[in-house]
Amino acid sequence: MTASRLQHIVSSGIVLFVAVIVTWISFTQQPADAFLFPRLIAIFFIGLAVWNFIRAISGMAKVGEGLDSTSFINIVPGLVVMAVYVFFAAKSLGFYFASTIAFLTVFTIYDSVPLRDIRGWIKRILVTAIFMLVIYGLFAMLLKVQTPRGIWF
Amino acid sequence: MEFLGYFGGVFEPVSFMLLLGGTIGGLILGATPGLSPTMAVALLIPFTFHLQPAQGLILLGAAYTSTVAGGAVSAILLKIPGAPANIATSLDGNAMAKKGEGARALHLSFLASGVGGVIGVLLLIFLTPVLAQWALAFSYSHLFWMAILGVTVIGSLDSKSFVKGLLSGCIGLWLSMIGFDDNLGAQRFIFADALAGGIHIIPALIGLFAIPQVMEMFAKGRANAAIEAIEVPKQSLLASIHELGQSMRSLSIGTIFGSIIGIIPGVGGQIAGLVAYDQARKFSPKKEKFGTGHPEGIIAAESANNAMVGPSLVPLLTLSIPGSPTAAVLLGGLIIHGIFPGSDLFDNHPQVAWTFINSMLIGQILMVIFGIYTAAWAARIARAPVPIMAAAVMVLALFGSYSVQQSMGDVYIMLSLGIGMFFLEKFGFSAAPLVLGLILGPIAESNFTTGSLIAQAQDGPIVYFMTGLLNMFLIFLVVASVAYSFWSNMVHGKSSKPMEARS
Amino acid sequence: MNRLIKSLLVGFAGLAMTATVALAEGYPERPIGVAVSYGAGGATDFQARIVTMVAGNEDVLGQPMYIVNKPGAGGRVGWNWFATEAEADGYTLSAYNIPHFIAQSIKGGVQYSKDSFEPIANWGADPAVVVVGKDSQFNTIQELVDYAKANPGKATLSGAGLFVGHHIAALQLEKATEAKFAYIPTKGGGAAAMKAVIAGDVVGGINNLSDAFRAREAGNVKILAVADIERSAEFLPDVPTLMESGYDVDNASVNFRGLMVKKGTPQEVIDKLSAKVPEMFANARVVKRMKAGGSPMKIMSRAEVQAMWEKRQETLTELLAGL
Repeated sequence: MTASRLQHIVSSGIVLFVAVIVTWISFTQQPADAFLFPRLIAIFFIGLAVWNFIRAISGMAKVGEGLDSTSFINIVPGLVVMAVYVFFAAKSLGFYFASTIAFLTVFTIYDSVPLRDIRGWIKRILVTAIFMLVIYGLFAMLLKVQTPRGIWF
Repeated sequence: MEFLGYFGGVFEPVSFMLLLGGTIGGLILGATPGLSPTMAVALLIPFTFHLQPAQGLILLGAAYTSTVAGGAVSAILLKIPGAPANIATSLDGNAMAKKGEGARALHLSFLASGVGGVIGVLLLIFLTPVLAQWALAFSYSHLFWMAILGVTVIGSLDSKSFVKGLLSGCIGLWLSMIGFDDNLGAQRFIFADALAGGIHIIPALIGLFAIPQVMEMFAKGRANAAIEAIEVPKQSLLASIHELGQSMRSLSIGTIFGSIIGIIPGVGGQIAGLVAYDQARKFSPKKEKFGTGHPEGIIAAESANNAMVGPSLVPLLTLSIPGSPTAAVLLGGLIIHGIFPGSDLFDNHPQVAWTFINSMLIGQILMVIFGIYTAAWAARIARAPVPIMAAAVMVLALFGSYSVQQSMGDVYIMLSLGIGMFFLEKFGFSAAPLVLGLILGPIAESNFTTGSLIAQAQDGPIVYFMTGLLNMFLIFLVVASVAYSFWSNMVHGKSSKPMEARS
Repeated sequence: MNRLIKSLLVGFAGLAMTATVALAEGYPERPIGVAVSYGAGGATDFQARIVTMVAGNEDVLGQPMYIVNKPGAGGRVGWNWFATEAEADGYTLSAYNIPHFIAQSIKGGVQYSKDSFEPIANWGADPAVVVVGKDSQFNTIQELVDYAKANPGKATLSGAGLFVGHHIAALQLEKATEAKFAYIPTKGGGAAAMKAVIAGDVVGGINNLSDAFRAREAGNVKILAVADIERSAEFLPDVPTLMESGYDVDNASVNFRGLMVKKGTPQEVIDKLSAKVPEMFANARVVKRMKAGGSPMKIMSRAEVQAMWEKRQETLTELLAGL
């Protein structure tokens, strides 16, 4: 499975866009002394990005497996859970509580055991509990890391 | 041979228990995502308050050696490099673990670490005075060229496309510039509050390596979950030792590069593994196998990592200059006990100095024994069902990236970089050159800036950066490395290579 | 999921408010973090580790203190984080370095000033010293100054960064001697600056007394002068101050280290900490370890530190105005 030419054009277009922004900022921001190195890098960055973009347009870019729609649909639910978990839930609900929920949710979404199967649920809850105990033992008890407590813990 | 007389100190009951505890504890800490050797040693410093100086150092020395090796465990099993040193290990190690060869990968990694580590400590014992001069010889201009030499490796490192490898490196170099500029304190590229502190290397590593991995597992969906559980034959220790014997080239490249780079203050530890990996591949007849689960990749990277430990302490023990962040923490551990490294250490506290060095030697061996003993058991982790693995790596990534500086900003950076990296990887970009850029950017920049200031006060930048034997030698290496990259790109780049499924 | 969180947040916001008020009563009920704006192993880091080591004793605070390193840009990264992101609940403290953070806030580009923080107590005062390599041609500060006068801009002096104590001392020295030095800020703190001196990359350097004392013990450097009002009787009785040598350099560059909290921390918490923390610094075990490590101590109460901050703000504003 390799990426289509369109996918390559879009991906290298985005990289080129980033390179343009970096270059623009590097050459406009002050103090100039502090941006000496970024400028140097920006020159290489934009040169390579342009080259890469031309290769993509002319169909020379062949490396990379690309992204097919099945994989993408599979990723979405997990990605949403992960983003909500890391960006919002972990701090507001507390690390350990949010992690327990997130672990169980991801496990449930991607587990091949059907949702109706009660033994599947027992196994999932058990694994989650054991894993969270290990995490708690390692980070809270052994390393004494103070994690955000949020609403619960 | 003075050190032989102090071996007794290592085998006193309390000392030996500490050595054992430090080794085992170090392996566990090292295997924990987000805990670099530096942090692990810093965490142990308070324990040494209650111990004799020599005993305290035994604990710290044992922990240092085994955390470096322990970092390979999470790199291999979870594809989360515990520290920059383990990036190269994760490239081939995780591919092996996925094929069900986790135990073999762990065996080779520990054996290679042990061999490299013992040789590194022996260098520390016998060549300290010579090596100390070598460490001082590296000034800002030389460190700058060293960093540039590292940059030239970027294009060829774990990337199937030369352009995209270089471009990945550029992205990494740019990311390293984010935050406060170290010399002038100017703010650069701070688009969000979380970025004000810059991008810390450990959360970045976790995000760039672990998150694409998690998303890859998501991509498989529910149906394929059962297929992953392949049955694997047991890996015998003898077979592993035999295999290590077969890979002398990688082992010696790793050990030699690791110990040479390890001495250089400020550069060493972070890039020793990657440089050795790259060299081992360049010298190998089976170049294309690197990155797909090739044992020699692990051997080169891990022997280099541990070979670096002994020499990296040379500037600390002889000149009282910590050459690496971990050495800086060890310095703190010594000073707290009123022992000042330098001539004072070897003249007035020889029992402390030599017991410490000897304990690192014994610690290497204990680390190999314990590591191998648990390898078969630990390797099962990599064969856990996909949904559990995905959930576990996700949670570990959060805890690991948070605990580095106890900062939510680092956590957000971790996930953002990770998601970005997943999509980039899909189009042929790769994480290893990006990380190399992230590491080398600040080294190159700060040495260039400081060097330029000194050059202004002396005879100007051209004289400062371009003249002198060491400068010229390093420039020659840079030119040779660039030429090699272009040449091999011309020769191999045209023929389309078989596409292998990358993770 | 998100909506659930939001409704829960609203519901619990009220609870959280009451919790903050009640918090001061049983303070501290869990371990206290101390953010250090320099890397692990540096002088500030390891001194912070020593002075906080007895916090967990029942007669001190009853809860341990742990160190979190937030290094970068000469301390700016850590203090910026502390001023903007840390919680003002007394469970996150920060180590301060004077004159560093005041000088940086005067120069601008950071999100903190003297008024962003509340001092708790001071534990140490580490004067800046002028060092040269052991084989250097200079044996006294006068010789070095004469060289700098004869070769303007050629006398390179390494130091730990811009607008830290070392830089302030270099600026004062330039002002007092009217010689032109080339101050070289190094990345990697005092240790990197010291390496530059020992390796001969620079003509001389400005460094911490504690680090220089160790380097001299190791036979690597010569110490020419101390930038303080009086000599260090404990560690360097033989080294003259810059003032004795005839240069008008006071103690503005002395690196004071202590603990502070963020503005907005409950008054009860500040009171409890400022009562207990100086006792903690004065603990016999702490003093013994600090002395063994060659780290000069200077314990000051909250009121004394407040006065000292005020004074530094004035002197530094004046000194940096000319730049």
